[in-house]
Amino acid sequence: MAFPKEIYKALEDIVGKRNISENIGVCETYRCIPSQSSAHYGPSEHWTPLPQAVVLPGSTEEVQNIIRLCNKYGIEFKASTTFWAAMGYIGGDFALQIDLRRMKSIEIDVKNMCAIVEPFAIAATVQAEAMKVGLNLNIPGVGCSSSALANASSWIAFGPNTIFMGSGSENILGMEWVLGGGEVLRTGSLGSGDGWFCGEGPGPSQRGLLRGLFGTAGTTGVCTKMAIRLHPWPGPADFPTYGTVPAYKADFGPNFKCYTLCYPSWEAWARSVQYFHESDIAYSGHRQFSMFGRNLKAAMLKIITDPDKQLCDIPELLEDPYIKEQNEKMKLDYQVIIAGFSERDLEYKEKAIDYILEQTGGWKSEMMLEKDMHDYALLYLTRLGHKNLNFVMCGAYEGTFGLSPNVWRTIQVVEDATAQKRKWEVEHTSIAATGGDSAMGSLSGIGGGGATGWEFFTNFDAYDKESVRGTCKFVDGNQEFHNKYSFGPDFCRWNSDVRHMNGYNYTQEEHDEMFSKTPQPWIFAYQYKIREAVNPKNLSGSYLRTVNPEKLK
Amino acid sequence: MALKDFRPMMERCSNCAGCKFIPFDKIKSIRFAENCPSIGYYNFMTYSARGRFQLSQSLLDGRTKLDDTVTEAIHSCTSCGYCDVGCKVTRYNLETLEHNIEQKAYAVEQGKVLEGQKPVIENLKKEQSMLPGAKKANRTDWAKDLNLKDLFKEKAEVAFFAGCKYSYEPKLQKIAQAAVKLLQGAGVDLGYLGAADNCCAGRAHQMGFLNEFKDRAKANIKAFETAGVKTIVTPCSDCYHAFKRQYAKLGLNVKVLHVVEYVDQLIQEGKIKFTKTVPMTVTYHDPCHLGRLGEEYIPWEGKEKKIFNQIHTWEPRRPRYNGAYGIYDAPRNILKAIPGITLVEMERIREYSWCCGAGGGCSESNPEFSAWTAGERITEANATGADALVTACPWCKDNFVNAVDENGNKIEVLDIIELVQQAM
Repeated sequence: MAFPKEIYKALEDIVGKRNISENIGVCETYRCIPSQSSAHYGPSEHWTPLPQAVVLPGSTEEVQNIIRLCNKYGIEFKASTTFWAAMGYIGGDFALQIDLRRMKSIEIDVKNMCAIVEPFAIAATVQAEAMKVGLNLNIPGVGCSSSALANASSWIAFGPNTIFMGSGSENILGMEWVLGGGEVLRTGSLGSGDGWFCGEGPGPSQRGLLRGLFGTAGTTGVCTKMAIRLHPWPGPADFPTYGTVPAYKADFGPNFKCYTLCYPSWEAWARSVQYFHESDIAYSGHRQFSMFGRNLKAAMLKIITDPDKQLCDIPELLEDPYIKEQNEKMKLDYQVIIAGFSERDLEYKEKAIDYILEQTGGWKSEMMLEKDMHDYALLYLTRLGHKNLNFVMCGAYEGTFGLSPNVWRTIQVVEDATAQKRKWEVEHTSIAATGGDSAMGSLSGIGGGGATGWEFFTNFDAYDKESVRGTCKFVDGNQEFHNKYSFGPDFCRWNSDVRHMNGYNYTQEEHDEMFSKTPQPWIFAYQYKIREAVNPKNLSGSYLRTVNPEKLK
Repeated sequence: MALKDFRPMMERCSNCAGCKFIPFDKIKSIRFAENCPSIGYYNFMTYSARGRFQLSQSLLDGRTKLDDTVTEAIHSCTSCGYCDVGCKVTRYNLETLEHNIEQKAYAVEQGKVLEGQKPVIENLKKEQSMLPGAKKANRTDWAKDLNLKDLFKEKAEVAFFAGCKYSYEPKLQKIAQAAVKLLQGAGVDLGYLGAADNCCAGRAHQMGFLNEFKDRAKANIKAFETAGVKTIVTPCSDCYHAFKRQYAKLGLNVKVLHVVEYVDQLIQEGKIKFTKTVPMTVTYHDPCHLGRLGEEYIPWEGKEKKIFNQIHTWEPRRPRYNGAYGIYDAPRNILKAIPGITLVEMERIREYSWCCGAGGGCSESNPEFSAWTAGERITEANATGADALVTACPWCKDNFVNAVDENGNKIEVLDIIELVQQAM
């Protein structure tokens, strides 16, 4: 069903003929498919619905005019940048997809240490521009191919640098939003006409209202510009990469070191993380390469650092005694980068690491100190670019066992989760058998309180329907695990109350039914009031969980 | 493979954005971070490799028809192959370029072609050249007075294959002539195919006219065999790729060299010596079909296999074409060997070089898109401060000569042979 001609013509008048299409072939390419189950709305066998048209606005004014038009005609709209996740796609039949690809400017404000970015400025480009002037930004685990603005405005955004820089919500300064009703709201110092440098202004925190802790996934309107806090970068102005595609590496010079630190027990592991958290010595800290699985990680590291190796080489590598030994030593590990802001600073940090290892009985992985491995890991953790590691093994993955509590709580359950995943790997063939533990995530993020932000990477084949269905079953079983430990909805189920398995959004009535029965329904009623204020016609999908307060009376 | 055979790849694409940007580790600025001319110009997702995978699913499932918009989208791809490199930074089981070309072939089979493509293909059939208006009778005029041996009459160690652009376009003819003289001067025993010299039809392959390509390729392979060709040297990157990769699939078994490889070798052997200084700062543009698409074809037979339940792979190991071993160093070695030349690099080079815009027949079928793509490269070249943009492909040179950067400025465009000639 196409939009009536008058609507299409009005949209065309806003963005110009070149920047709108209602062609079905074009619109079909704006649907989320099962291989993108990283979206955590499935995995399902369905695509998200077909938009009636796609528009490519080039300015805030155009976005505003589009949204006003949507309000006039009651058209659902959803804006997206890189279309990484299902939350960027529309969820109904009378809907407009807004592709923000044309809005990608970056302005670096050196004095105020921030980057003022438009939506399609991906994190890699923001970082490249920032590094020219000795600055850097927090790139979350989703990677540098994603929008820096969307990471900060619409999702959690913790990653390797979070231990040094904080997570997405902690790095937002001034913002410009076109609210769901079509008004433009400028927050923080920007709202007072004082520039972009501060995230908060007089009155209640608009940053909190529009974004919250986890991000509102575009349900409060369209963020069209944002100032993101930048942090010191003591490295080169651009990456001195070397190596043959795809095995790129980089040597940042003597003031950078990347270590894979390993421990004899989870208890020792957690104590070491606590030391890192308290000592402020890490520039990056992430449990990264364990995402390949406890059994495969050393072999996979050999593959991705060698341009001539392929996935078919895994079995042979696993037979190599050196790889076997190194893999075993890296069982309970994480990666850290230390950056020296002076020679003495680096010396101090090196000594501090030695002390931590001494206190905890830990050691540095020898394999990861090999020049190739070191330079690969350093480059990877700094940009989160070289290979979207999530996709290397199977092309599709689902993040399961989302563990975001304090490290001490995480380590109490990690082996149970490992055992549950491993059991499924052995008894079923639907997910890749990587060794149970495939937990990846930050060491100390979310306010810096020593909390983890982990997910177990569960790789499956989106082309193989049995694999997709089996992964669904696995995911359902994991929720029981989460219930057992009172962890709430598992990461992979976070969007199960947003979209039906056929890709369509839940209606307000369905949300009312769903959330009015929860233990604290007034939280959702509060969110309803926020949404009512900024998006009165509720035209941006169902990612903001709400209950109509009338239903609670 | 038919389009339906690409279904597993279509459904396995992760939408990682690797097909749209240069390898993320290589990004040095926002300005030159992207690397798909098609989505760069048209902006809709449809025009990216990821979008093309999704479009194919919709076509095969019957939800989308091959209307004018879809037909234009399918053919608005320069077949530059960058998406393939970007994809394979992460993935081991997707072939985006092969899919894009098969998608074009799917449209061609149903008669869905662009107006600008018709005269190109008609002339290929009629005059064995993909340059509209070029006559078979004039094809070897450029080679008069060069003492090239006709390989059907006498033997020579090496067959020189100029290709359509160098054969017909007057300014480019001089470069082909210089290349021949250069090789002859270094003692190379050089011949050519004489009356049997015809278009390689590599561009027909890039455009999805696969039957026309195969017909021409088979005829040329027969001619090479009859003439006893053991080594082909060509100054054209499109011809180079056609022979080295596509003809090899059809059974061509000869050594294929681009002239830059040969000249680099002759410089190293001391058979070419420079006597003059060329005081110039230049930047080098890697032609797609010499660089990332210049890897040698390796025959393979095998089957798919899953390991560790769901990790998809092949048995035995399948050759991987990801641009790692294309021809990048030979032209740079030549430039560095010329006295007085300073080489400055652009941001997008080697396997992640930006396309000139002429590929996939786009210079004929989508001239505005093609010119924009070339203009992007001129902007990047001018940003280096170089005096000239040097390349090793006549299609690239031709497209650059007529292009301007974002400020309306041009840059001197040179074939690498012209620089070598200046230094002799």
